[in-house]
Amino acid sequence: MNAGSMTKRWELTPQQKLMIFILSMSLYGISNMITELIPELKIGPIELKVEYFIFIPLLFAILFNPLYAALGACFGEVIFGELLLGQFGGLGELEKFIEFALAIFVAGMLVKNPANRRQLAIAAYVAIGIDQLLGTIVDIGKVYFGIEDFEAVPGLPESVLAIEGFAFLNAMIVSGTLFALLPTLYLVPRLYGKVEPLLGMKPRDGRASASLGDFVTPRLIILSIVLFAIAGAAEFMAESDINFIDWESEFIAGLGDGAIWISMGVAAVIFIVSLIWIVSRKSGKRKGEMV
Amino acid sequence: MALQSTEEQPIIQLDNVTFRYPGAEANSLEGVSLSIYRGDFIAIAGSNGSGKSTLCKCFNGLIPTYYSGDMEGTVFVDGIATAERSVAELSRNVAYVFQDFENQLVRPTVYDEACFAPLNFGYEDYKERGMNALRMLEIEHLRNEWIWQLSGGQKHMAALAAALALDPDVIVVDEPVAQLDPAHARVIYEKLKLLNERYGKTIVVIEHHTEFIADYCRKMVLMERGGRVRWVKSVAEGLSAVSELNEMNIQPPQVTQAFHALCREQAIEGALYPITIEEAALHWGSAAKRELPSTDAYASAASSSRSAGEPLVRFEGVISGYQGIDRKKKPILQGIDLSIHEGDRIALIGNNGAGKSTLLRLISGLRRPWEGKVTVCGRDTRKSTPEELSDLVAFLFQNPEEMFIADNIRQDVEYFLRARQQQGIEPFIEDVLRRFKLTELQQRDGRLLSGGQQRRTTLAIGMAMRPTIMLLDEPTASLDIASRKELTLLFDQLRDEVKAVVVATHDMQLVADWANRVIVMNEGRILLDTDSRTVFQHPDILDRAALVAPQIVQLCGRLGIEPACLSVEQFIAYMERAQREELVYGIG
Amino acid sequence: MELAEPARKSSIWEKLSVERIKIELLRTAYGQSRTFLSRFDPRMLIGWYSFFAIAPWFIHNKTVLIGMLLAIAVLTYTSKPSVLVFIVLAFGLVTDTAYMLIVALAFGGGLPAALALSTLTLKLLVIALASIAVFSSMDPEKLSDALLSLGMPAQFSFGVAYGYRMLPILIEEYNNLLYSYRLRGRTPLRKGLLGWRSLVYMGKISILAFYPLILNTAKRTRTTVEALEVKGFTYAVKDPKVKRIKLAYLKILPRDYAFLAISAIYVAFLFWLGNQYTL
Repeated sequence: MNAGSMTKRWELTPQQKLMIFILSMSLYGISNMITELIPELKIGPIELKVEYFIFIPLLFAILFNPLYAALGACFGEVIFGELLLGQFGGLGELEKFIEFALAIFVAGMLVKNPANRRQLAIAAYVAIGIDQLLGTIVDIGKVYFGIEDFEAVPGLPESVLAIEGFAFLNAMIVSGTLFALLPTLYLVPRLYGKVEPLLGMKPRDGRASASLGDFVTPRLIILSIVLFAIAGAAEFMAESDINFIDWESEFIAGLGDGAIWISMGVAAVIFIVSLIWIVSRKSGKRKGEMV
Repeated sequence: MALQSTEEQPIIQLDNVTFRYPGAEANSLEGVSLSIYRGDFIAIAGSNGSGKSTLCKCFNGLIPTYYSGDMEGTVFVDGIATAERSVAELSRNVAYVFQDFENQLVRPTVYDEACFAPLNFGYEDYKERGMNALRMLEIEHLRNEWIWQLSGGQKHMAALAAALALDPDVIVVDEPVAQLDPAHARVIYEKLKLLNERYGKTIVVIEHHTEFIADYCRKMVLMERGGRVRWVKSVAEGLSAVSELNEMNIQPPQVTQAFHALCREQAIEGALYPITIEEAALHWGSAAKRELPSTDAYASAASSSRSAGEPLVRFEGVISGYQGIDRKKKPILQGIDLSIHEGDRIALIGNNGAGKSTLLRLISGLRRPWEGKVTVCGRDTRKSTPEELSDLVAFLFQNPEEMFIADNIRQDVEYFLRARQQQGIEPFIEDVLRRFKLTELQQRDGRLLSGGQQRRTTLAIGMAMRPTIMLLDEPTASLDIASRKELTLLFDQLRDEVKAVVVATHDMQLVADWANRVIVMNEGRILLDTDSRTVFQHPDILDRAALVAPQIVQLCGRLGIEPACLSVEQFIAYMERAQREELVYGIG
Repeated sequence: MELAEPARKSSIWEKLSVERIKIELLRTAYGQSRTFLSRFDPRMLIGWYSFFAIAPWFIHNKTVLIGMLLAIAVLTYTSKPSVLVFIVLAFGLVTDTAYMLIVALAFGGGLPAALALSTLTLKLLVIALASIAVFSSMDPEKLSDALLSLGMPAQFSFGVAYGYRMLPILIEEYNNLLYSYRLRGRTPLRKGLLGWRSLVYMGKISILAFYPLILNTAKRTRTTVEALEVKGFTYAVKDPKVKRIKLAYLKILPRDYAFLAISAIYVAFLFWLGNQYTL
């Protein structure tokens, strides 16, 4: 299947990339379905929960191709864990999608030699670290951004930092060790050289090559970033609401009906823009095909 | 059986084709030249590793486009060299149904699957094409079914429909019988016949079940090791070459074997043997009229064991089943009373969904009865975990790959004893590996082994558990005939160590050769509990359980030989005796 | 295919058996029926949803939010979501609110903080219910087609269909692999405090079972990709014509416009009402 690769650098054919994609998607998807349904154990502030089986896409990222493993896993999560269960969260999924894909991709790129346990350990913690860190930064950012005079409120920055920091460390230590480090250290050396023949390919040697361009179209990236920004901004607004409300009654009393009409105006604009977007997309596509 | 007239130009033509997989040490095909004509129904036979699948993957361009190995020679499809076209383009001429048909189905429903290929090729009328394919196979009623809910036979049909949707000239089917029980396999072949006769499709099957070749194909290609074509003959001629086939590990139809053994001397050189039951019945029609008591080799093996002591397993009024998607309870077993005794070799037979697997799972403790009680060696299964029961019961799954949980075969065999921290197990493990001929393979992963080797491994895993009772779910499914024979021999290894063996199976040959007790199940009830000879005397019950008796048993039924002979050897012995007695009567 | 067995002797296995999970999953994934919202064009619904997912962030008027919530709750009810979905929603909401409350209390917020939180909860509820109403009743294949028409790569919609196809098979296989571990393994002799040894044993084999599952799935993927090649999928991904043919059935009908119009009028009415009676 990959005769050319004997002379060239270790590279996958499009079909093999599709295999990795499907493999990562279905396995991580299934694991995600299972973890969604496992109840969690809470002892005080310490949460013992099965966050995710992050080791699954990580294995494929390390053994084959970081990009396809990462994308497959994200799709798998959305499809199996959300869509098929009727739990698709709409815009909120995007944030997770980007954080997770980035984490797996970067961790996978780090490993040069799948037989090197130190590299594996680093990759395992990097993967969960990036994912959790991005999540934590976004969470802290929301509160920081959302609450005016954040630093002026006594004890608030500390408490937020403490809560978020604790959650992060907890995830790193518990999930990072149980669901990233140990399974990766156990499984990668076992699978290396063993799973490849089943897929009809050679084990990788050296750093995997990955080209973003052949899968992710620039349009998709831009669209994702824009939507991500909208989702993020929207969440900031929500958070900011917490403190605005204290003086909102005065604000409304002061401005009279104006505030409501401003909100309604914003809402209407969003409504119309999203409609126009959909309709124009449709007609644009038609035109595109006629050519 | 005459060859049908064909058009001048072959639809598929191979000119001196040689192919080697990337990284392989030997050629998989060696100088193959072959012509297949429009309207042919052709079987490709050969031992394992003779390049049958490789040959067929040349027809639709998967070789050399997808498997980029070293290829010499040319393959023409409809007069155009495949090297000049893509796999997708060629798919419009040549459809391919993989042996592993389960995994070639990629869509949720049957209709969706049938429409998938035409949609991908950008046909505006893809829905119509999909429906047409379903109509050709007469499976429109399945259109909205979820594929995962279909039976094996229906899945194969769906795969065939998907292949047909592009309206190809040639349909290649890789071992249709391998994954199916005989009754369903026959249904598939009937459809292929329909496609060949009514729609003029050229059919190529990879097949080593010669009884199907005899009944449906017109031409036969014999491949030999190293990827060479030995010959291309008409089926009647080909199957009459009994000794040549035996040499390749291919078993001719039972009637042909019998004829070969009995009439070799009388037959004129080069004459054709009977290859179907009809032909055999015609041949022996006069010879076997006389009623003779047949041999008593098996006579009373079953009844003797049944009285002995406390049963190993006892079912008392057991009702069990599962919960459906609609949360309603669906009983599968409805009031089972059964005792299994020491020395029982039980074949559990019946159609799909009759409750065979559920019964086995109840014994293993994986499933518990809703009502009634299952006792295994005096233990109530409701009060034990499967882990505890595994000290007594070894349960071998239908799919061997679901039993390979360790790094290699050896560790799989050891797993049970290691989990129990037993010391000094090496000599015992070595012995088990040797007995099941796995010593050479012990460091390999089970998934990369052949079907026969996989089964041997699961048997070894079971043996290493030193169980009192062994349960096997469809152990001979998807095995070629040589591996089946080997497996039946290995079953004898179990006899000394294991007190009782229960095998759920569709394989009537196994029933005839091995079992001393046969339990026929239907719709969650036990229809018949008897020995292997008696079971074949109830054609009505076999019919209800969708089972097909071995060819030689059917022949006996046709010839009025009662009780029927269970194997070719018995039949030969019977006929020889009959001839002798005829001689005696003739003189007297 | 066997789905589940009723638990007689309730052990931790029975309560948390994969068979149980399996039946819940299959019920949700395959139990879809026609609902009120599923009759509309999925792209229109996505647009409708994005309004209700974004607008609440900018609305501080509780009257409007409650009005929205009522309408969306009715729509959610008509889309017959599974209990599971509600449990997940309730769980998420409770933890989020509790977290917020802790933060608020940590810096000495009293009633105003609780009030602020109630508005926030209201918003979150509107948004969550909107997504349940739209997406839980929408046939995932339709949704994936809608996303395809909005620019998602074709691999995604293939993934959805493939997920439907493989889900029960993979779960069944995972279950059987777990059985393999159980039938040859051994439970810890002592259960430990609160059965923690059993829990660890269980957790360990549920992760270990992925090892053979990965290998088995790898093997099956090979055939699948070969079949996809034969069926022309790898070419279709790049062909805009295929996309057009596939999506030809998506049409925005008068009833879609009617639904949008009614929604718009209702929302306008809410703003008017909110203006009159501010909660």
